[in-house]
Amino acid sequence: MFHIALRILTYDKVRSLITLLGVVFAVTLIFSQIGIYLGLMQASSVLIDNTPGDIWVTSKNSRNFDFAHPIPEYMYYHALGTPGVEWAEKLIVAWNVIQQKDGSTEQIEVIGFNPDTGIGGPWRMKAGEPGAVKNGNFAIVDESATRRLGKIGIGDYKDVNRKRIQIVGISEGVRSFTTAPLVFTSYNLAQRLGGYISPDSTVFIIVKKLPGYSVREVVASLQQRLSGVDVFTKEDFSFRTRMYWTIETGVGFSFLLTIIISFLVGMLIVGQTIYNSTVEHLKEFGTMKALGAENRDIYQIIFAQAILNALIGYVASLVITLVSVKLYDMTGMTMVVSWQVNLMTLVLTMVMCLLAAVISIRKIRRIDPAILFRG
Amino acid sequence: MEPAIVACGLTKVYKEGPVGPVEVHAVGGVDITVNEGELIGLFGPSGSGKTTLLSMLGCILRPTGGSLEVFGNDVIAIPEDEMPWIRKRYISFIFQGFNLFPALTAFENVMLVLELRKVPPDDAARRAEQLIAEVGLAERSSFLPRDLSGGQKQRVAIARALAADSPIIIADEPTGNLDHSNGVHIMRLLRALASDRRKSVIVATHDSRTQGMFDRILFMEDGEIFGQKEMVK
Repeated sequence: MFHIALRILTYDKVRSLITLLGVVFAVTLIFSQIGIYLGLMQASSVLIDNTPGDIWVTSKNSRNFDFAHPIPEYMYYHALGTPGVEWAEKLIVAWNVIQQKDGSTEQIEVIGFNPDTGIGGPWRMKAGEPGAVKNGNFAIVDESATRRLGKIGIGDYKDVNRKRIQIVGISEGVRSFTTAPLVFTSYNLAQRLGGYISPDSTVFIIVKKLPGYSVREVVASLQQRLSGVDVFTKEDFSFRTRMYWTIETGVGFSFLLTIIISFLVGMLIVGQTIYNSTVEHLKEFGTMKALGAENRDIYQIIFAQAILNALIGYVASLVITLVSVKLYDMTGMTMVVSWQVNLMTLVLTMVMCLLAAVISIRKIRRIDPAILFRG
Repeated sequence: MEPAIVACGLTKVYKEGPVGPVEVHAVGGVDITVNEGELIGLFGPSGSGKTTLLSMLGCILRPTGGSLEVFGNDVIAIPEDEMPWIRKRYISFIFQGFNLFPALTAFENVMLVLELRKVPPDDAARRAEQLIAEVGLAERSSFLPRDLSGGQKQRVAIARALAADSPIIIADEPTGNLDHSNGVHIMRLLRALASDRRKSVIVATHDSRTQGMFDRILFMEDGEIFGQKEMVK
């Protein structure tokens, strides 16, 4: 019955093209919304995901990476002395203000890391080395910051909280969800930049477990040993951060809403076209029934039309989306098109088109035999 | 020899109406027996109940009264989900409007019936080609219905009906959309089906010029058969 469905689709080219355009429109929207959402979520936890270590110690009730509060620095030593800990590292994440040449200011997110180990520092460099921020007022800026901070090159000077800092490296692909430029400095400089980080406090402690210990085991030990802080596995903290941005800011809801609307629009377009086609072929389908076809034989034709629309529309949308990924990248945003996204969108497309076909199925069930005899 | 169709007191009452259910007697108490190799003409004006009767005899419409047997099968007693099997096994149709799939070629329209009967593809293709040739359309088997004349379309519909190899063929106004010469050609084909292939063919028609081709003619009005005529060969 598949070939009959194909023939029906190719016979009425204009209608099929309109249906396909509808599917492509809806599926491309679904693709892009899922892709952009995942891109944003990836950006929200990009530093956690790219930092070595298994466990993050944060201030109490810390809900995300970007707005964690300082914790006493001595906690670091307590963590280091906890059984099952191979190493621990301090990391500062603080909001500061950078002054532009024209007098304007920009909010930046300063990441203070240990340049000797590089833990918490940039993981992909376009120019310079992470260790270059050691021993001085030096910083690494991500190339994506040029959109907010203007053209930046190695050797340039910038004023952060009235301290003159020299740029010694340019990282790439290190974008924050908040869109604030990420500026990497040494841990010591981040502490000295002032603001709400005092010289005896840090923001995070990153812990690596010893082989032979489970992460959960070490988390439990740290929770017992350190008071007034939260202890998360890396995955839990990453997920917590993503969920914060998804739920608390309404970002997730708005994306979900667009996906649902796209799904419904696609379903309506495909549904209406298949329904019209079914109504137009009602006599032929009725004749098939008269000639001994069972309802399921005709359902196969209708569902095959839906599946063909879904598959062709999906492939076309995938191509458009892959092209869009490059365009998004050029605008400084990330669209994630992983195999999981592809699979999820394929499933959604199939469900959308098959649900649309169900409307026509009802029509087939109720074919009035009298129509067969009308001339 | 077992009759193809035996109907006694066959009745169809519709309950419908914009205000409330009003009983409409479309067919009332029809008795009819159709024998093997018989070509029966069903004559009557529009609205006389011919189509309803054909629908019931063709097992696509359930009677509301009477009895109906198709090759000994009590159709009234057969559950709805087994009706396609009865149709597939015993009955083929030819319609005034041809009802061919516009997207399928003449050959494919015939193939469709064979596919429904799960005939192996090679055998089905061979059989479809043979049937298309039998109705004189060998050179047009790859044509879409839109590229065929009315007479040619009806010949494809006949080939399709033959593909099913059903012992009963029900034809509703098969010449209704055709000019006279094409109409005569189609009627000759139906005549041959009855005489040569021993098919039981029931034809509803208005066309009195074709009367001479039938074995028996039934006259219908107001849902009842009010007379019949045996044709002398």
